[in-house]
Amino acid sequence: MSSISIQQLTKTYGPFAAVSDLTLDIPDGCVFGLLGPNGAGKTTTFKCMLGMARSTSGTTLFNGAPLVPASFESIAYVPERSVLYDWMTIAEHVQMTRHAFKAFDVARCKELLALFSLNEKQRVRSLSKGMKTAVAVAIAFARRAQTLILDEPTTGLDPINQREVLNLIINEATRGTTIVFSSHQIGQVERAAERIAILARGRLILEGAVDDLKADRKIVDGILPADDTPLAAFSTDPRVARADRNGRIVRLVVIADADGVATALSAAGAQGVRILDLNLEDIFINAVAPASSTADVVEV
Amino acid sequence: MPIVMTIDPRSGVPIYLQLIEQIKRSVALGVLTAGEQLPTVKQLAVDLTINPNTVARAYRDLEKDGLIETASGRGSFVRADGATQNAQTAGSDVARDTLESAVREGKALGLDRAAVRKLFAAALDRWLPEEV
Repeated sequence: MSSISIQQLTKTYGPFAAVSDLTLDIPDGCVFGLLGPNGAGKTTTFKCMLGMARSTSGTTLFNGAPLVPASFESIAYVPERSVLYDWMTIAEHVQMTRHAFKAFDVARCKELLALFSLNEKQRVRSLSKGMKTAVAVAIAFARRAQTLILDEPTTGLDPINQREVLNLIINEATRGTTIVFSSHQIGQVERAAERIAILARGRLILEGAVDDLKADRKIVDGILPADDTPLAAFSTDPRVARADRNGRIVRLVVIADADGVATALSAAGAQGVRILDLNLEDIFINAVAPASSTADVVEV
Repeated sequence: MPIVMTIDPRSGVPIYLQLIEQIKRSVALGVLTAGEQLPTVKQLAVDLTINPNTVARAYRDLEKDGLIETASGRGSFVRADGATQNAQTAGSDVARDTLESAVREGKALGLDRAAVRKLFAAALDRWLPEEV
């Protein structure tokens, strides 16, 4: 069992709040994707969860209990920036890690290093950024941990190795491992994650199962009879997150009951009413971008 | 496993619904027959590079629909009882969704019932003519 509960986590640096009042529940065995623009607070969240940065307030519980040193036996973490030592070889890092963790699987680690075409005798100094990421991923996955926290685990990797990391995440998920990872590669998150959270400026702006978000969130668009057809009813409709118009063309970002909203839009006199699906990237952009920035979308 | 699945994770259609649609289609077409074993959740997740809980969700829904059954420890199977009926239900489920979206599209473009009916009759005549 390995559930994670982040409760009202806040981290401030002077007047700047890197994370504000973040509450997230990550069920046991879930692959959870953390999305957000640069500076959204993803890395700070990971560091606070793991006690590597001191939270200003709030707590994180692993299996219902706060972290203790022994918890790290069952949690593996791949930080955003490499913490490998330049002067050591890959093999020396493997040695160091195997001594620190009982469950470390040396044979598996060798397999994983080979998967990424890494030579254990190489010193970290001679590795590219992507190769360092691969070393950190290989060592973390060989830990056989119940919980994996991966901060941008594909940074600098080529598309083939990115796919290998994705395969590893899915393989671990089939073993019931709880995995929290952040990524700017939305396509990867869309495949691997069952649930996601989107952070912006330190705040949680959207959370849910990827498939539920896709089922609920739609674009409804249509052509209004006139430039001045009133739309007020839609801008206050709780099912509508956003209403953009450009003359007679209207575009509604709907968060529930798209069929009902489409019917209402037709009833308001709109023609050519369509319901369009949104993928995770669309959902992300619509959640994060300011309202005006999608105005160009309606200029057909 | 004889089923060939094509999942588009970047589509706005939930992945579990894509899986359900394809498995129903496979049953309707007889690619999956009564009593036949489906890939395990793990196998399908790994093969398609998608989340295993998402696959499990699709299997649960198919079980609720009476299309498959899961024997703990042995895997999931296309239900043996009433396989023909399952196939027909599966087929009409898939076809209904497609028809509904076609009618909605016609309506959105300003067609009335008569116009849609005419198109429907023409499509029937072309693709499913009465046997003489």
